Amino acid sequence: MSYDTEHVRNAGDDPGTITGLPTFTELLTNTNLARLYTAIRHAEAVTGPELVEVVDISKKTVYEYLHRLAQAGLITETGAGTGTSEYEAEDFELQLTIRGIEVSITPELVDVIAHADEYPVIARIRDDHGVVTFALVHDLVKAHSVGDITIRQISTLGDLSNGTVYDLVEALYEILDLGDDDPSPITYTPDEADGSDADLMAELTDQ
Amino acid sequence: MYTANIVDTVIFRSLGKSPNPHLESLRQAVEAAETEVWVPVSIYRELTDSGTEPPVNPYLDDGVAEEWIRVATPLPGNRDDAFESVTDPVAQAQHLADAFLNRQSKYPVTNNWRDASLVALAVRLFEQNVRIRVITHTADQGVARACARIPPEFGYYEIKSRYYNPPQTAKEKFPTIESLRWGGQ
Repeated sequence: MSYDTEHVRNAGDDPGTITGLPTFTELLTNTNLARLYTAIRHAEAVTGPELVEVVDISKKTVYEYLHRLAQAGLITETGAGTGTSEYEAEDFELQLTIRGIEVSITPELVDVIAHADEYPVIARIRDDHGVVTFALVHDLVKAHSVGDITIRQISTLGDLSNGTVYDLVEALYEILDLGDDDPSPITYTPDEADGSDADLMAELTDQ
Repeated sequence: MYTANIVDTVIFRSLGKSPNPHLESLRQAVEAAETEVWVPVSIYRELTDSGTEPPVNPYLDDGVAEEWIRVATPLPGNRDDAFESVTDPVAQAQHLADAFLNRQSKYPVTNNWRDASLVALAVRLFEQNVRIRVITHTADQGVARACARIPPEFGYYEIKSRYYNPPQTAKEKFPTIESLRWGGQ
């Protein structure tokens, strides 16, 4: 396995700097921290008391996490002077290359990890195989939704059992609302199949 | 004219373990459509719970016992054989499907032998039966395309390939008479 990493950087128009790499890492491994960051990101601007209402985490922990996320540059405290602090999430992107495949760690991945309590397969892969493998299969399941890869190919490339990948596919399609809007199956016939005019036998056997 | 329906693993995963209302709907639809559900043995094994003694298949065993699900005997091909040395059309089809899936994917080359077994089983059913049509059902687009594209290379055009996306829609859309019949959707 090789890692070809760029610096972690905020992905907004005016990039700040993520200064707390340990907190960034914890964002991917601590489901409650991921839930808090995701709640801020979806709310755009939200106060501490509002967050305590939204997330099922103790008030003390919420404020401790807010402090750490702000220190790490993952959220920004705004509303100074109005008497009430508001928080906004910073976007970020970390690009890796693993097993020859480019993988991105983004807030969307954190959003998925925030669902770990609802879908045990998320924590199972993340904890047993590592965050990078989880990020890899997350991206591959998205590729599956547009027909770029099969489920068994995901199993092979992620070095996971087929059963685990089937569970993950089900979870990610629901969380990310992947797939066609029309639930009816598409029917392919020999006339409509991809490249039916090509000499497939010659082409594939040449390979 | 007999219509055979070949079904991939993810469809059964979507339907769930037996007994349940989705599998019961499928059983009734299979009976009404006068068809059978076929699976390659590699897919039967993939769905088998080998942690029990004896191993059981919680998705398929009831349907097999009731004789509306048929598990095909093992296919003849070996992935390690050089394509040039393979003469059996069923094995050739499996090799072609394996290569086709790697060509469709933009990712590193993988072993797609189990995915390719759906295509190989379709070709075998055509080889063994004169008056037959085949419908395949899968939630992998590449496999769906391979099922429609490769049997014509062997002269078999009476095939339709249904692709379910998202996979969980198979729970509702697959166990119907319409999905199992040649003229249906």
